[in-house]
Amino acid sequence: MTDFIRNNRVAVIGAAVVLLACIVLTLVAGTDSDIVRKTTSILRFAWTFAIPLVLAALVGVIGERSGVVNIGIEGQILASAFAGFFVAAASGSVWIGILAGLLTGMVMGAFLAWLCVRLRMDQIIAGVVLNIVATGITSFYYVQGKSLPSGVPVWEVPLLSKIPIIGPVFFRGGPIALGTLVVVVGLVFALFHTRWGLRTRAIGEYPTAADTAGINVNLMRFVNVTMAGLLAGAAGAVLSMEQSSTFERGMSAGKGFLALAIMIFGAWFPGRAFFAALFFGLMSGLASQLQADKVVNIPQQFINLLPFVLTLIILSVAAGRVRPPAASGQPFVKGEGS
Amino acid sequence: MKAIRALALAAAAALALSGCAGGTAAAPAAECGTADAFCIGLVTDSGKVDDKSFNQSAWEGVQAAVKAIPGSQSKYVETTDTKDYAANIKQFTDKKYNVVVTVGFLMTEATQAAAKANPNVKFIGIDQFQDTAKVGEIANLAGLTFPEDQAGYAAGVLAAKLSKTKVLGQVLGMQIAPVEKFAKGFEAGAKSVASDIKVITVYHPAGDNAFTDPAWGAAEAQKQLDQKADVIFGAGGKTGNGALGQVAKASGAGESIFCIGVDTDQWNTVPEAQKCLVTSAMKLISEGTADQIKAIKGATFKGGNVTGKAGLAEYHAFDSKVPADVKDAVSKVVADLKSGALQTGVKLG
Repeated sequence: MTDFIRNNRVAVIGAAVVLLACIVLTLVAGTDSDIVRKTTSILRFAWTFAIPLVLAALVGVIGERSGVVNIGIEGQILASAFAGFFVAAASGSVWIGILAGLLTGMVMGAFLAWLCVRLRMDQIIAGVVLNIVATGITSFYYVQGKSLPSGVPVWEVPLLSKIPIIGPVFFRGGPIALGTLVVVVGLVFALFHTRWGLRTRAIGEYPTAADTAGINVNLMRFVNVTMAGLLAGAAGAVLSMEQSSTFERGMSAGKGFLALAIMIFGAWFPGRAFFAALFFGLMSGLASQLQADKVVNIPQQFINLLPFVLTLIILSVAAGRVRPPAASGQPFVKGEGS
Repeated sequence: MKAIRALALAAAAALALSGCAGGTAAAPAAECGTADAFCIGLVTDSGKVDDKSFNQSAWEGVQAAVKAIPGSQSKYVETTDTKDYAANIKQFTDKKYNVVVTVGFLMTEATQAAAKANPNVKFIGIDQFQDTAKVGEIANLAGLTFPEDQAGYAAGVLAAKLSKTKVLGQVLGMQIAPVEKFAKGFEAGAKSVASDIKVITVYHPAGDNAFTDPAWGAAEAQKQLDQKADVIFGAGGKTGNGALGQVAKASGAGESIFCIGVDTDQWNTVPEAQKCLVTSAMKLISEGTADQIKAIKGATFKGGNVTGKAGLAEYHAFDSKVPADVKDAVSKVVADLKSGALQTGVKLG
């Protein structure tokens, strides 16, 4: 425990400060005050906005840490949103729908892995293929007039959901929203504190060395990219089932690509990607709040540039020095590496 | 080699699947351009023909006209990219269609250009105000617009009378004339009831998917609910529908929290919102479109600006829940707006 605190001083202090600020604010201003309501609502908007981005960014992180660039996340999200919604509508169970969404993401991940790892196809082109296939299939098989049999349930985490401001935002939500938190924490641990994590980072940095050490590089890449597809599936299912109750053609609307930017912004660390996505969501929430409050009398189109402009600035300042995994995007051929 | 083959196969499959136009030409009818045929083509805006909102209403109007005019047939093209407006219109003019209906304010210029280039084809531009001072009279083009501000105003009066918190919310699509008229009308109507009422007005930030982003609509609606809004007006295609669906999920929906739909009677088109949907601010696009098509067939068609009708939809299940005095007040407002005794005072620009 003390080791953990010593090693993660910034994170621990940051968390404590935020927590304290929330409690103090609520005590001083009161739970029902305007400022607490506004903060909570903007934060909730931010987190809602960020969930699919976090999940999708993690798909990118796992892929590139293993040495496979995944441009096809957008397609994975779209196809999963489609499958989740329509399977739920047809089967009468949102749970079967969510499962279908997850599996669709995984199958598309496996397809990408097969193209990239087995066939050693150009990874960018393979990803583009995934996107085109998803757009085509979801438009063609789309039928109108379907609806979800029921809403996805909303759960509350006992105790944690009672924390002022943070509790109702992060610890109250659908299964995928809550699951996202678990996945982020789990992946931070797995990537840096387990054998799987060490090997994954090895095959993404220096696959030849990993191969010499007896790791089956291509098998591991295949499995990682396939399993990461589950997260892309969750990102799709959350869009069409948890955050709305409808599938819309092209509903991923560039989130898969935005997630790649967030992955770079987060320097290929899952924890940082989480905060990067949250930051982006927060900027969007602030933009819409500025629009609503009419505090500044400039056209809303300009206000809505805010998240993108700020992200650009921060990307150029903070993330200018990040370095991708060395072998990211390079197929591995046994005996040919340097 | 193997990889290239796989890629080619996948790409070919995707291409084969995308790019299909729908249609309702049931029986093989006479070829368009011949004397017996009466062909109607519809080009949607970047929303879809089943958006449960304005594109769908227009398409239903076309279908109603097809039913009323024997020997007529219709087809639609969905616009996926705003750059394709002209190309999509051309698909119909090339096949010598008699009537081309273009849906949406954003297609105004493309429709005007096509109408000038094809004087023998009649065009109906929905939500397209013809600025005759700028483009001159185009005899074969009717710009069908609606007094959205009146429907919005009546909805605003109703919302303000239902609200306990004195905070109302609006989740809107793109900031374009028809949507703005709804929004400003709503705000003016609400303020006419109580000048201290707060109206939260938020337009969708992005361009391309402003009308097709239900997840954003839902998140924004939740934000407004969290900030004490208790009546939410969702106006913006599927984005607005997402907002309505989210309000229906809120605790107290239908009791202390309500939502108001837009364009069509959304009671039927967005069933997931029935729990909170008091009414919808409608513009009678179907009726207006069908009337124009029939006018073309009956040779009574006149180009220029045509004003359709707007109003409120039924209360449906809320008929018994909305107090009688509120209903009376709202119907008086609707009547006064129609007669001209009451002006919304909404000005754009």
